[in-house]
Amino acid sequence: MKPLLFVLALTAAALLSSCAATAVKPWDRDLLAEKKMRFNAYPMIGAVDEHIYFSKEGSTGGASVAGGGCGCN
Amino acid sequence: MQLSDTPEPARADAEPPATPPTPIASPSPLRRKLAAAAFLLLGVPALASADPMPSSPSWQLDATGLLYGERQRTSVIEPTARLTRLFANGQALSGQITLDAITGASPTGAVPSGQPLTTTTASGMVTTLPAGQVPTKKFNDLRGASDLSWDLPVGTLFKATTGAHYSREKDYQSVGASESFSLDVLRRLATITIGGGVNRDGVFPRGGTPVPLSDGTQVLTTGTDRKDVTTGLIGLSRVLTRRWLMGLSMTRTLETGYLTEPYKVISIVDSTDTAVDQRTENRPARHDRRAALASSVYHLAKDVIYVEYRYYWDDWGIRSHTADAKYRLELPDDAYLLPHVRYYTQSAASFYRPSLPQGDPLPTFASADYRIGDLSGVTIGATYGFKVPGSRGEWNVRVEYLRQWGPAGSFAGTGTPGGDDGGGGERATRAAAVALPSSKFGAFTSLDIGTIVVGYSIPF
Repeated sequence: MKPLLFVLALTAAALLSSCAATAVKPWDRDLLAEKKMRFNAYPMIGAVDEHIYFSKEGSTGGASVAGGGCGCN
Repeated sequence: MQLSDTPEPARADAEPPATPPTPIASPSPLRRKLAAAAFLLLGVPALASADPMPSSPSWQLDATGLLYGERQRTSVIEPTARLTRLFANGQALSGQITLDAITGASPTGAVPSGQPLTTTTASGMVTTLPAGQVPTKKFNDLRGASDLSWDLPVGTLFKATTGAHYSREKDYQSVGASESFSLDVLRRLATITIGGGVNRDGVFPRGGTPVPLSDGTQVLTTGTDRKDVTTGLIGLSRVLTRRWLMGLSMTRTLETGYLTEPYKVISIVDSTDTAVDQRTENRPARHDRRAALASSVYHLAKDVIYVEYRYYWDDWGIRSHTADAKYRLELPDDAYLLPHVRYYTQSAASFYRPSLPQGDPLPTFASADYRIGDLSGVTIGATYGFKVPGSRGEWNVRVEYLRQWGPAGSFAGTGTPGGDDGGGGERATRAAAVALPSSKFGAFTSLDIGTIVVGYSIPF
């Protein structure tokens, strides 16, 4: 998985570089401030989905650390 | 631990809990810009989390009800309620209660038989299965879960989120805690998040913990098997343009202890692929899981596009790809429609075996649970969100259809979103009278699942 980690590290570095987005001024963040502009804009339904997929698939993770165990998998 | 029960887990794109609607009602572009600038002056984070802090303490109630059904299998009813106290200084404290009521039948893992199949449980109960049917076990369970979460902003750029969890079902208990920190950098154009969580779970199978790869009549213990879970997360989210937000995150989860499914079995088949006996399954006592997630949120003129891709890999040999897309279509009167499509595919764990050949030495680890076999799935559905005139509350209704499929004979096991499938009974043992070649099980097998979620949120 070293190539994947390298790509992720490179992408993260690019995102953190100041040249990735310099044109978004504070007064241009009106759209970003909307509630629907969140990664997890529908958290209650998102939690239901995580529970379903965790119990029906072999994979989990990627987005969160919180939560509780379940005997469903 | 699993990450499935908390409504708003500490994500890499950590955000405060849902708060009352922003006061920007039907704003003109100029008004919205002025409002955004005002938030900045007030010290409110502007990176996808710019709900204004309440001027005085307030409450928020979120409730959902899930109806889940598998064709001819399991059904689940899961109500959830979360109450959040929002403080004027930006702190938020929430508590949540979830109940899962699960009923139905869960496949044992054995392959279908061409003749009636008689099985005997450890307690001596004899049951007979008609020819050609996938062996299943009827069960029911009731699971209760409680979660607490506390968001604590420190200054204008830093936030700590603390979580706690407890859940209990017939044969499983989970106690967990988590902590994450997020920091806004680059003039609040980026947010870095790190976090971790631990769970100390207990498994106490009905009828006792079976001896691995045995006929199931012998038990190792009637006490509790321990299962420990530790998770770490690192994430980064970034404003790329006025309309575009992107995130990257990685998690690593280490599970140790009893990771076997105590009620699952594997068929022993002869040279004609006919099941002649069965064994309990056995999985390694360590599971190292890793996942990398890339997320994008893009604002069109009014609508919003959400896209996610996740790559997952673990030391059991499972590799998976998940692609997920949603489109939020704005409708009149604050309503919206959110179509959703998701595709998932995974490779099998190295010890996955649909069946074991008769006469061969038993492997150290083996499982016929299709959830760790070669598997693909597609979800399609849509959410409709709306407000009732005169009310501050917001409703949403979601209907989805999920189809999973895999190679022939692979769907001999299943799980449910509520509890440990099979938890209501004892494993079947001592198979008898079997004859059907598994090739007649079909060249293509699948599982159909339907879900309906109704949600309601109201600030007060």
